[in-house]
Amino acid sequence: MAALSGGVAPWCRGWLPALQFVRRGSKAVTRHWKAMHFQRQKLMAVTEYLAPRPAVPPRCLAPRKETVEEDNGYVQLLRRQVEEVFRDNRMIAVCQFNSMPGEDVVLMRHYLRKHNIEVKFVLNEIIRPVLSQSKYKNLLPLFVARNILLVSRETKVKEMLRVLKGVPQINLLGACIDDTILSRQGVENFAKLPSLEATQGQTVGALALLPSQTSSLLQRGSAHLTALLDQHISRLQAAETGSPAEPAPAQSSEAH
Amino acid sequence: MASRIRVVLRPVKSIVVRFCPFESNAESTRKFLGCIHHKNIQATNRNCEVTADVRHDGSEPLIDVMFADGERLIMKGANLTTIEMLTALGSRCNAKELKEEQKSKKKSP
Repeated sequence: MAALSGGVAPWCRGWLPALQFVRRGSKAVTRHWKAMHFQRQKLMAVTEYLAPRPAVPPRCLAPRKETVEEDNGYVQLLRRQVEEVFRDNRMIAVCQFNSMPGEDVVLMRHYLRKHNIEVKFVLNEIIRPVLSQSKYKNLLPLFVARNILLVSRETKVKEMLRVLKGVPQINLLGACIDDTILSRQGVENFAKLPSLEATQGQTVGALALLPSQTSSLLQRGSAHLTALLDQHISRLQAAETGSPAEPAPAQSSEAH
Repeated sequence: MASRIRVVLRPVKSIVVRFCPFESNAESTRKFLGCIHHKNIQATNRNCEVTADVRHDGSEPLIDVMFADGERLIMKGANLTTIEMLTALGSRCNAKELKEEQKSKKKSP
Protein backbone atom coordinates (compact mmCIF):
# COMPACT_ATOMS: atom_id res chain seq x y z
CA MET A 1 0.00 0.00 0.00
CA ALA A 2 1.47 3.25 -0.99
CA ALA A 3 1.46 5.74 1.83
CA LEU A 4 1.19 9.27 0.70
CA SER A 5 3.82 11.44 2.22
CA GLY A 6 3.35 15.08 2.01
CA GLY A 7 0.34 17.16 2.52
CA VAL A 8 -2.40 18.63 0.41
CA ALA A 9 -1.05 18.74 -3.11
CA PRO A 10 1.43 15.96 -3.65
CA TRP A 11 1.38 16.35 -7.50
CA CYS A 12 2.87 19.80 -7.02
CA ARG A 13 5.94 18.37 -5.40
CA GLY A 14 6.69 15.57 -7.88
CA TRP A 15 6.47 12.79 -5.39
CA LEU A 16 8.31 9.53 -5.55
CA PRO A 17 6.36 6.48 -4.52
CA ALA A 18 7.50 5.37 -1.15
CA LEU A 19 7.01 1.69 -1.84
CA GLN A 20 8.70 0.32 -4.86
CA PHE A 21 7.74 -3.03 -6.31
CA VAL A 22 11.29 -4.34 -6.66
CA ARG A 23 11.75 -6.91 -3.90
CA ARG A 24 15.06 -8.53 -4.56
CA GLY A 25 16.56 -6.37 -7.24
CA SER A 26 16.74 -8.91 -10.11
CA LYS A 27 16.87 -7.42 -13.55
CA ALA A 28 14.93 -8.33 -16.67
CA VAL A 29 17.57 -10.73 -18.05
CA THR A 30 18.55 -13.22 -15.38
CA ARG A 31 20.50 -16.45 -15.24
CA HIS A 32 17.75 -18.18 -13.32
CA TRP A 33 14.28 -18.79 -14.63
CA LYS A 34 12.05 -15.84 -13.99
CA ALA A 35 8.29 -15.95 -14.27
CA MET A 36 6.85 -13.72 -16.95
CA HIS A 37 4.73 -10.78 -15.98
CA PHE A 38 1.07 -11.61 -16.25
CA GLN A 39 0.49 -9.17 -19.07
CA ARG A 40 3.38 -10.63 -20.94
CA GLN A 41 1.95 -14.13 -20.36
CA LYS A 42 -1.33 -13.02 -21.87
CA LEU A 43 0.42 -11.50 -24.86
CA MET A 44 2.44 -14.66 -25.50
CA ALA A 45 -0.70 -16.81 -25.26
CA VAL A 46 -2.54 -14.65 -27.74
CA THR A 47 0.31 -14.45 -30.25
CA GLU A 48 1.14 -18.20 -30.18
CA TYR A 49 1.98 -19.81 -33.53
CA LEU A 50 -0.84 -21.80 -35.15
CA ALA A 51 0.31 -24.19 -37.92
CA PRO A 52 -1.58 -23.75 -41.20
CA ARG A 53 -3.87 -26.72 -41.89
CA PRO A 54 -3.58 -28.25 -45.36
CA ALA A 55 -6.49 -27.72 -47.68
CA VAL A 56 -6.86 -31.48 -48.29
CA PRO A 57 -6.42 -33.61 -45.16
CA PRO A 58 -3.46 -35.99 -45.62
CA ARG A 59 -5.50 -39.16 -45.15
CA CYS A 60 -7.44 -38.36 -48.32
CA LEU A 61 -4.30 -38.40 -50.44
CA ALA A 62 -2.64 -41.53 -51.79
CA PRO A 63 -0.28 -43.15 -49.24
CA ARG A 64 3.44 -42.56 -49.70
CA LYS A 65 5.49 -45.61 -50.61
CA GLU A 66 8.04 -46.22 -47.87
CA THR A 67 11.56 -46.27 -49.25
CA VAL A 68 13.44 -49.46 -48.42
CA GLU A 69 16.61 -48.73 -46.46
CA GLU A 70 19.67 -49.56 -48.49
CA ASP A 71 22.57 -51.29 -46.78
CA ASN A 72 25.61 -49.26 -46.33
CA GLY A 73 28.73 -50.03 -48.33
CA TYR A 74 30.46 -52.02 -45.60
CA VAL A 75 27.61 -54.51 -45.32
CA GLN A 76 27.53 -54.90 -49.08
CA LEU A 77 31.26 -55.52 -49.14
CA LEU A 78 31.00 -58.20 -46.46
CA ARG A 79 28.16 -59.86 -48.35
CA ARG A 80 30.20 -59.93 -51.53
CA GLN A 81 33.10 -61.46 -49.64
CA VAL A 82 30.87 -64.20 -48.25
CA GLU A 83 29.50 -64.99 -51.71
CA GLU A 84 33.04 -65.16 -53.05
CA VAL A 85 34.05 -67.53 -50.29
CA PHE A 86 31.22 -69.89 -51.09
CA ARG A 87 31.96 -69.72 -54.79
CA ASP A 88 35.71 -70.21 -54.80
CA ASN A 89 36.35 -72.78 -52.14
CA ARG A 90 35.75 -76.50 -52.30
CA MET A 91 35.71 -77.10 -48.57
CA ILE A 92 33.86 -74.84 -46.12
CA ALA A 93 33.72 -76.04 -42.51
CA VAL A 94 31.49 -74.28 -39.98
CA CYS A 95 32.72 -74.28 -36.40
CA GLN A 96 31.46 -72.74 -33.19
CA PHE A 97 33.97 -70.30 -31.76
CA ASN A 98 34.05 -70.06 -27.97
CA SER A 99 36.31 -67.42 -26.50
CA MET A 100 39.96 -68.33 -26.75
CA PRO A 101 43.09 -66.50 -25.68
CA GLY A 102 44.59 -64.50 -28.53
CA GLU A 103 47.85 -66.42 -28.83
CA ASP A 104 45.95 -69.68 -29.24
CA VAL A 105 43.94 -68.15 -32.07
CA VAL A 106 47.11 -67.03 -33.81
CA LEU A 107 48.75 -70.44 -33.38
CA MET A 108 45.72 -72.24 -34.71
CA ARG A 109 45.54 -69.93 -37.72
CA HIS A 110 49.23 -70.58 -38.35
CA TYR A 111 48.86 -74.35 -38.29
CA LEU A 112 45.84 -74.26 -40.55
CA ARG A 113 47.54 -71.87 -42.97
CA LYS A 114 50.29 -74.44 -43.44
CA HIS A 115 47.66 -76.71 -45.00
CA ASN A 116 46.20 -73.85 -47.06
CA ILE A 117 43.13 -73.56 -44.83
CA GLU A 118 41.96 -70.00 -44.10
CA VAL A 119 40.05 -68.95 -41.00
CA LYS A 120 37.26 -66.43 -41.56
CA PHE A 121 35.21 -64.80 -38.84
CA VAL A 122 31.61 -64.27 -39.92
CA LEU A 123 28.69 -62.25 -38.62
CA ASN A 124 25.37 -64.03 -38.53
CA GLU A 125 23.29 -61.07 -39.69
CA ILE A 126 25.33 -60.84 -42.88
CA ILE A 127 25.62 -64.48 -43.72
CA ARG A 128 22.01 -65.45 -43.03
CA PRO A 129 20.44 -63.41 -45.85
CA VAL A 130 23.19 -64.50 -48.24
CA LEU A 131 22.59 -68.18 -47.52
CA SER A 132 18.82 -67.95 -47.59
CA GLN A 133 18.98 -66.76 -51.20
CA SER A 134 21.60 -69.26 -52.34
CA LYS A 135 21.43 -73.03 -52.63
CA TYR A 136 22.93 -73.54 -49.14
CA LYS A 137 19.64 -73.05 -47.29
CA ASN A 138 20.20 -76.12 -45.14
CA LEU A 139 23.23 -74.53 -43.54
CA LEU A 140 21.03 -71.77 -42.06
CA PRO A 141 20.35 -73.39 -38.65
CA LEU A 142 24.09 -73.64 -38.03
CA PHE A 143 24.58 -69.88 -37.92
CA VAL A 144 23.56 -69.08 -34.37
CA ALA A 145 26.00 -67.80 -31.73
CA ARG A 146 29.61 -67.07 -32.68
CA ASN A 147 30.91 -68.99 -35.68
CA ILE A 148 33.97 -69.20 -37.83
CA LEU A 149 34.47 -70.66 -41.28
CA LEU A 150 37.46 -72.75 -42.22
CA VAL A 151 37.73 -72.55 -45.98
CA SER A 152 40.10 -74.17 -48.39
CA ARG A 153 40.42 -74.95 -52.09
CA GLU A 154 41.65 -78.46 -51.33
CA THR A 155 39.93 -80.97 -49.12
CA LYS A 156 42.52 -81.71 -46.44
CA VAL A 157 40.06 -82.92 -43.88
CA LYS A 158 42.40 -85.18 -41.91
CA GLU A 159 44.86 -82.39 -41.17
CA MET A 160 42.04 -80.01 -40.24
CA LEU A 161 40.58 -82.52 -37.79
CA ARG A 162 44.01 -83.09 -36.27
CA VAL A 163 44.48 -79.35 -35.63
CA LEU A 164 40.97 -78.95 -34.26
CA LYS A 165 41.47 -81.85 -31.88
CA GLY A 166 44.22 -79.84 -30.20
CA VAL A 167 41.90 -76.86 -29.73
CA PRO A 168 39.03 -77.75 -27.38
CA GLN A 169 37.34 -74.36 -27.63
CA ILE A 170 36.40 -74.80 -31.29
CA ASN A 171 33.64 -77.29 -32.07
CA LEU A 172 33.11 -78.52 -35.61
CA LEU A 173 29.42 -78.34 -36.44
CA GLY A 174 29.29 -79.31 -40.09
CA ALA A 175 30.89 -78.76 -43.46
CA CYS A 176 30.07 -78.24 -47.11
CA ILE A 177 32.58 -80.17 -49.22
CA ASP A 178 32.18 -80.07 -53.00
CA ASP A 179 28.61 -78.78 -52.65
CA THR A 180 27.68 -81.63 -50.31
CA ILE A 181 26.52 -80.74 -46.82
CA LEU A 182 28.01 -83.07 -44.22
CA SER A 183 27.49 -83.36 -40.49
CA ARG A 184 30.37 -83.83 -38.08
CA GLN A 185 30.12 -87.61 -38.36
CA GLY A 186 30.08 -87.30 -42.13
CA VAL A 187 33.25 -85.22 -42.04
CA GLU A 188 34.98 -87.83 -39.90
CA ASN A 189 33.92 -90.57 -42.32
CA PHE A 190 35.14 -88.45 -45.22
CA ALA A 191 38.52 -88.17 -43.53
CA LYS A 192 38.78 -91.94 -43.27
CA LEU A 193 38.18 -92.43 -47.01
CA PRO A 194 41.27 -93.17 -49.12
CA SER A 195 42.50 -90.49 -51.48
CA LEU A 196 40.92 -89.93 -54.89
CA GLU A 197 43.80 -91.53 -56.84
CA ALA A 198 43.70 -94.66 -54.70
CA THR A 199 39.94 -94.98 -55.14
CA GLN A 200 40.24 -94.48 -58.88
CA GLY A 201 42.91 -97.17 -59.06
CA GLN A 202 40.72 -99.54 -57.05
CA THR A 203 37.73 -98.90 -59.32
CA VAL A 204 39.78 -99.45 -62.46
CA GLY A 205 41.21 -102.64 -61.03
CA ALA A 206 37.76 -103.94 -60.09
CA LEU A 207 36.37 -103.11 -63.53
CA ALA A 208 39.34 -104.65 -65.32
CA LEU A 209 39.10 -107.86 -63.30
CA LEU A 210 35.95 -109.09 -65.03
CA PRO A 211 37.10 -108.66 -68.67
CA SER A 212 40.39 -110.34 -67.81
CA GLN A 213 38.42 -113.33 -66.62
CA THR A 214 36.14 -113.31 -69.72
CA SER A 215 38.81 -114.52 -72.13
CA SER A 216 39.81 -117.40 -69.87
CA LEU A 217 36.10 -118.23 -69.32
CA LEU A 218 35.40 -118.35 -73.05
CA GLN A 219 38.45 -120.45 -73.72
CA ARG A 220 37.77 -122.81 -70.86
CA GLY A 221 35.41 -125.06 -72.84
CA SER A 222 37.71 -125.53 -75.82
CA ALA A 223 40.76 -125.83 -73.55
CA HIS A 224 39.02 -128.58 -71.59
CA LEU A 225 38.11 -130.36 -74.85
CA THR A 226 41.67 -130.15 -76.14
CA ALA A 227 42.98 -131.47 -72.84
CA LEU A 228 40.57 -134.40 -72.96
CA LEU A 229 41.45 -135.15 -76.59
CA ASP A 230 45.15 -135.01 -75.76
CA GLN A 231 44.61 -137.48 -72.97
CA HIS A 232 42.57 -139.71 -75.27
CA ILE A 233 45.28 -139.62 -77.95
CA SER A 234 47.97 -140.46 -75.45
CA ARG A 235 45.91 -143.38 -74.17
CA LEU A 236 45.29 -144.63 -77.72
CA GLN A 237 48.98 -144.34 -78.50
CA ALA A 238 49.80 -146.18 -75.34
CA ALA A 239 47.30 -148.87 -76.32
CA GLU A 240 48.76 -149.11 -79.86
CA THR A 241 52.29 -149.47 -78.59
CA GLY A 242 51.02 -152.08 -76.17
CA SER A 243 49.05 -154.11 -78.78
CA PRO A 244 51.80 -154.20 -81.53
CA ALA A 245 54.13 -155.32 -78.76
CA GLU A 246 51.78 -158.27 -78.00
CA PRO A 247 51.15 -159.53 -81.58
CA ALA A 248 54.84 -159.00 -82.40
CA PRO A 249 55.98 -161.43 -79.71
CA ALA A 250 53.02 -163.66 -80.82
CA GLN A 251 54.28 -163.56 -84.43
CA SER A 252 57.78 -164.12 -83.34
CA SER A 253 56.62 -167.01 -81.21
CA GLU A 254 54.59 -168.37 -84.22
CA ALA A 255 57.59 -167.92 -86.48
CA HIS A 256 59.64 -169.95 -84.08
CA MET B 1 24.55 -59.87 -21.56
CA ALA B 2 24.68 -63.35 -20.18
CA SER B 3 28.34 -63.02 -19.29
CA ARG B 4 27.31 -60.73 -16.43
CA ILE B 5 25.91 -63.70 -14.54
CA ARG B 6 28.64 -64.83 -12.21
CA VAL B 7 28.99 -68.57 -12.01
CA VAL B 8 31.61 -70.01 -9.71
CA LEU B 9 32.62 -73.35 -11.15
CA ARG B 10 34.67 -74.54 -8.18
CA PRO B 11 32.33 -77.33 -7.11
CA VAL B 12 31.93 -78.54 -10.71
CA LYS B 13 33.98 -81.46 -12.02
CA SER B 14 32.86 -81.61 -15.66
CA ILE B 15 30.26 -80.23 -18.03
CA VAL B 16 29.13 -82.11 -21.13
CA VAL B 17 27.04 -80.14 -23.62
CA ARG B 18 25.28 -82.28 -26.19
CA PHE B 19 23.38 -80.75 -29.09
CA CYS B 20 22.47 -81.20 -32.71
CA PRO B 21 23.42 -78.05 -34.65
CA PHE B 22 21.03 -78.66 -37.54
CA GLU B 23 18.04 -78.53 -35.17
CA SER B 24 16.39 -75.21 -34.39
CA ASN B 25 16.09 -75.78 -30.64
CA ALA B 26 19.83 -75.81 -30.00
CA GLU B 27 20.28 -72.03 -29.96
CA SER B 28 20.14 -71.46 -26.19
CA THR B 29 22.38 -74.47 -25.54
CA ARG B 30 24.99 -73.18 -27.96
CA LYS B 31 24.92 -69.76 -26.33
CA PHE B 32 25.27 -71.41 -22.94
CA LEU B 33 28.37 -73.19 -24.22
CA GLY B 34 29.76 -69.91 -25.47
CA CYS B 35 29.13 -68.21 -22.12
CA ILE B 36 30.68 -71.06 -20.13
CA HIS B 37 33.88 -70.64 -22.10
CA HIS B 38 34.17 -67.00 -21.05
CA LYS B 39 37.48 -66.22 -19.34
CA ASN B 40 35.83 -64.96 -16.12
CA ILE B 41 33.98 -68.20 -15.60
CA GLN B 42 36.83 -70.41 -16.75
CA ALA B 43 39.16 -68.58 -14.38
CA THR B 44 37.16 -69.76 -11.37
CA ASN B 45 38.11 -73.37 -12.01
CA ARG B 46 40.82 -74.40 -14.45
CA ASN B 47 40.30 -78.09 -13.80
CA CYS B 48 36.70 -78.13 -14.93
CA GLU B 49 36.42 -80.02 -18.24
CA VAL B 50 33.93 -78.60 -20.66
CA THR B 51 33.19 -80.97 -23.56
CA ALA B 52 30.91 -80.37 -26.51
CA ASP B 53 29.25 -83.41 -28.07
CA VAL B 54 28.02 -82.54 -31.55
CA ARG B 55 25.57 -85.04 -33.01
CA HIS B 56 23.19 -85.31 -35.92
CA ASP B 57 20.54 -87.70 -34.64
CA GLY B 58 17.72 -85.25 -33.89
CA SER B 59 18.20 -85.65 -30.13
CA GLU B 60 17.31 -82.84 -27.74
CA PRO B 61 20.02 -80.50 -26.55
CA LEU B 62 21.29 -81.59 -23.14
CA ILE B 63 23.67 -80.15 -20.55
CA ASP B 64 25.10 -82.66 -18.10
CA VAL B 65 26.93 -81.16 -15.11
CA MET B 66 28.87 -83.43 -12.75
CA PHE B 67 29.70 -81.90 -9.38
CA ALA B 68 32.70 -82.82 -7.27
CA ASP B 69 30.54 -84.34 -4.53
CA GLY B 70 28.92 -86.77 -6.99
CA GLU B 71 25.75 -84.84 -7.67
CA ARG B 72 24.53 -84.55 -11.23
CA LEU B 73 22.50 -81.77 -12.87
CA ILE B 74 20.84 -82.46 -16.21
CA MET B 75 19.29 -79.53 -18.06
CA LYS B 76 17.28 -80.12 -21.22
CA GLY B 77 17.83 -76.98 -23.18
CA ALA B 78 15.12 -77.34 -25.83
CA ASN B 79 12.68 -75.00 -24.06
CA LEU B 80 15.00 -73.15 -21.69
CA THR B 81 16.73 -69.85 -22.26
CA THR B 82 20.45 -69.31 -21.77
CA ILE B 83 19.95 -67.01 -18.79
CA GLU B 84 17.67 -69.49 -17.03
CA MET B 85 20.24 -72.24 -17.40
CA LEU B 86 23.09 -70.02 -16.23
CA THR B 87 21.17 -68.81 -13.17
CA ALA B 88 20.14 -72.37 -12.29
CA LEU B 89 23.74 -73.55 -12.46
CA GLY B 90 24.98 -70.45 -10.65
CA SER B 91 22.53 -70.83 -7.77
CA ARG B 92 23.46 -74.45 -7.26
CA CYS B 93 27.16 -73.68 -7.34
CA ASN B 94 26.70 -70.87 -4.81
CA ALA B 95 24.73 -73.15 -2.50
CA LYS B 96 27.50 -75.72 -2.61
CA GLU B 97 30.15 -73.09 -2.00
CA LEU B 98 28.27 -71.88 1.09
CA LYS B 99 28.02 -75.43 2.37
CA GLU B 100 31.76 -75.92 1.87
CA GLU B 101 32.56 -72.68 3.68
CA GLN B 102 30.34 -73.64 6.60
CA LYS B 103 31.99 -77.04 6.79
CA SER B 104 35.47 -75.54 6.76
CA LYS B 105 34.46 -73.01 9.42
CA LYS B 106 33.15 -75.81 11.62
CA LYS B 107 36.36 -77.77 11.17
CA SER B 108 38.81 -74.91 11.74
CA PRO B 109 38.00 -73.76 15.33
